[in-house]
Amino acid sequence: MGKKLSMKGWLFISPALILLAVFLVYPIIYSFYLSFTSTKGIISSFVGFKNYIRLVKDPMFLLALKNTGIILLIQVPIMLISALILANILNDRKLAGRGIFRTAIFLPSVTSLIAYTILFKMLFSFDGIINRLLLSTGIVDHPLEWLTTPKLAVFVLILAMLWRWTGYNTVFYLSAMQNISYEIYEAAEIDGASKTQTFLRITLPLLKPMILFTTIMSTIGTLQLFDEPMNLSQGGVTAATMGPGNCFLTLSVYIYNLCFKYVPNFGYAATVSYVIVFIIAGLTVLQFWAGQSNEEKDAKKRLEKEGKA
Amino acid sequence: MKKSIVCLLVIALFVTIFGAAGAEDSDGKITVWAWDPSFNIAIMKEAAARYEAINPDIKIDIVEMAKADVEQKLNTVLAAKTTEGLPEIVLIEDYNAQKYLQYYPGSFADLTTKFNYNDFAAYKVGVMTLDGKVYGVPFDSGVVGFFYRSDILAEAGFKAEDLKNITWDQFIEIGKTVKEKTGKYMLGFQNTDGGIMRIMMQSAGKWYFDEEGKPALIGNQALVEAFELYKKIVDSGIAKPTNNWNEWVGTINTGESASVTSGVWIVGSIKAAKDQSGLWDVAPVPRLSTVDSKNASNLGGSSWYILDKSADKDAAIDFMQKIYAGDKDFYQTILINNGAVGTYLPAATGEAYSTPDEFFGGRAIYEDLSAWMKEIPPVDYGIYTYEADAAIMAQMEAVCAGTMTIDDAIKAAEAQLENQIQ
Repeated sequence: MGKKLSMKGWLFISPALILLAVFLVYPIIYSFYLSFTSTKGIISSFVGFKNYIRLVKDPMFLLALKNTGIILLIQVPIMLISALILANILNDRKLAGRGIFRTAIFLPSVTSLIAYTILFKMLFSFDGIINRLLLSTGIVDHPLEWLTTPKLAVFVLILAMLWRWTGYNTVFYLSAMQNISYEIYEAAEIDGASKTQTFLRITLPLLKPMILFTTIMSTIGTLQLFDEPMNLSQGGVTAATMGPGNCFLTLSVYIYNLCFKYVPNFGYAATVSYVIVFIIAGLTVLQFWAGQSNEEKDAKKRLEKEGKA
Repeated sequence: MKKSIVCLLVIALFVTIFGAAGAEDSDGKITVWAWDPSFNIAIMKEAAARYEAINPDIKIDIVEMAKADVEQKLNTVLAAKTTEGLPEIVLIEDYNAQKYLQYYPGSFADLTTKFNYNDFAAYKVGVMTLDGKVYGVPFDSGVVGFFYRSDILAEAGFKAEDLKNITWDQFIEIGKTVKEKTGKYMLGFQNTDGGIMRIMMQSAGKWYFDEEGKPALIGNQALVEAFELYKKIVDSGIAKPTNNWNEWVGTINTGESASVTSGVWIVGSIKAAKDQSGLWDVAPVPRLSTVDSKNASNLGGSSWYILDKSADKDAAIDFMQKIYAGDKDFYQTILINNGAVGTYLPAATGEAYSTPDEFFGGRAIYEDLSAWMKEIPPVDYGIYTYEADAAIMAQMEAVCAGTMTIDDAIKAAEAQLENQIQ
C-alpha cells in the first residue's frame, strides 16, 4: 500500500520534476559543457579550458568586469544606505501622510525596466529637460553631453538605477523594521537615547539579516545588469560601442553581444556566464561570512576546536 | 478505475507539455522577415501585392521586427538546428551575410541556377557568394550621397559647384563657415558610430581585413585618416552630438543640421519633413585626401535570402524570380515611393530615374546616385565587420578626448580584434 501511494505521489509530481529537469537542470549542465566548446553558428568544437584562458586576455571581458564592478561598488552601497534612511524615516509613527510617502517611494519599482530607462535617456539627452534646466538656471553655460561622455553616462546609469531600485529595498527594510517591537524603542527613549543612537544600536543590529539579504540580492542583480545599459547606450545593439567608451558594457551585455551581435559563439558566451556564476557564489559566501556577528564566529571556532579535540 | 484516471491525467499532462507540433507542411503561405516599415517592409508589401495578383493561391505574410530582433531570432533558431519557426524569406544586411552563410551551412537555399546573376550589380552578388555558389537575391543599394540643405549652404556662401567632389577636410572647413555664418550644425554625429568610418574606408577601396580575412588595421592609411577626421569633426564643433537614430534623423528634420551623408535609403527620412521640399540637394560623398579615394561609397544595403528547409521554398523562389528579377515596373514604383535604388540592372534606367525631384530642387537625384553606384570601389566585407567596428570604436573616445594617439588606438583595436575573432 505504502509503496503504491508513493508511486502515485511520484507520478503526480513528475510533470513538475520533468519540467524542472528539462528547463532548469539540463540547461545548467549543458551550458557548463558548452563553456568548454567554441562555436561559430552550428560549427562547434571542444576546446577544453581554452575559453577560460582566452577570458583572461580578452580586453572586452576585462572591461565588462571592470564596468560591472564600478557600478556594483558605487550604486549598491548608496542605494542600500539611502533605503535604510528612508525606511527609518517612514517607520516613524508620528510622521504625517506616511501612506502617501510609502507609495510614492515604492512606485518606481512597478515601472517597466525599459520604460524608465528610455525616460532617463530622454531626460538626459543633449537637448533634454535636464540640460535646459541647467542652462536656464545658469549652472552651466553650454549643454552637457550626458550620454556621450563616459563618466557622465555612468552617472546617469547609476542615478536611474537608484531611482528605480531604492524604493524596492526600502520596502524590505520597512517590513523588517515593523517586526521590531515598539517597546524596545520606547524603552530606549525613556533611557534618553538619541534618534541616531536608537538607529545605530537598535534598528541596525536587528535589521542585520535583512541587510544581508538585500546586499546579496542587489549584488546578484547588479552582476546580471542588462536592460538599463542596453537601452541607455547609443542605438542599443546596432551601435559599435555600448555607450561612450564602452562604459555600458556589462557582463550580461557582453554575453548578448557574443551571442547575437558578433559571429555567434554560444560556447564562449557560456564561459562568461559561468564566470558570473562563480563571482556571485564567491561574493555571496564572502557576504555571509562578513554578516556573521563576532559571537557567531567565536561560537563556530569553538565548535570546530571541540570537534578537533 | 481511479488508477486509470490518474494515468490518463498524467498522459494528458505530458501530451500538453511535450506535444510537439508535427513537421511543417506546405500551407501556401510565404512568410517574410524584415525590419523597416517605411522601407523594406513597404517594398515587400508592394512586391507581395504584385505577386498575389499573378498567383492568387499564395498568401504572403510579412512580419515586421526590429533589425536586431530579426538577427537574434534567426541566430537562435538556426543554432537550435530546428526548421520550425523559420520564415521562407529573410532580409539580411550585407555586412552580416557571410557570417550566416559560413556558420550555418545548409541553412540557406542555393540559388545559383535559379537567377541570372549577371543582371545584378556585381558588388552585391559577391557579398552572397560562398565557394562559387550564390545564396541570395540582391536588394537595395547603399550608395552614399552628401545630402545638404541648399538654402543654408547658400546663406553661408556656398554654391552647388563648391560642394561637388570635395574632400572630407574641405567638408569640415565648409562646416565651420556654416556654423559661423548661420549658427547651424553641419551634421548630426555620433562619434562612436561606425557608419561614416565605413563610408570613408570603402571610398578608398579598403576594409578592416586583408584578402585572407585577417585583421588589417595596422598600416591601413585610410583608417588613420578616418580616425583623424573623426577627431576633427568632434573638435571643430560642426557636429551636433546625437545619441540614437531618432535624434540623428531629428537633426535633419528639424533643420538643425545642414547636411547628412549617408546611404540613399536615408532619402525617405529626409522627405519626411514635407516643409523642407525644394530646399535639399545632393553631391557626391567627400573623399579621403591621403590615400587613393573616390567620391563614391556605400553604406549598408541588404539582400533577401531563402531558407533551404522552409515548407514553401519553391513558391518563395518563384515569387522572387517573378518580382525581384523580372518586374521592371516594380523597381520604378519602389524608387518613386520609397526611394529604393535597386541593384537589378535591367531596371536601373527608365523614367523614374530621370524624373526631376521637386524635393531636391528639381534635380533627378537617382540618375546621379545610380551613376555614383557604378563607381563604388568593391570591397570584401568578410565576416567580422561588426567585431572590427566595435574594436575601433572602443578606442575612439580616448582618441577624441586626446588621451590616446591614433597609432596606439589602432594597435589596441587590432589586439582586441585578434582576440575577438579567434
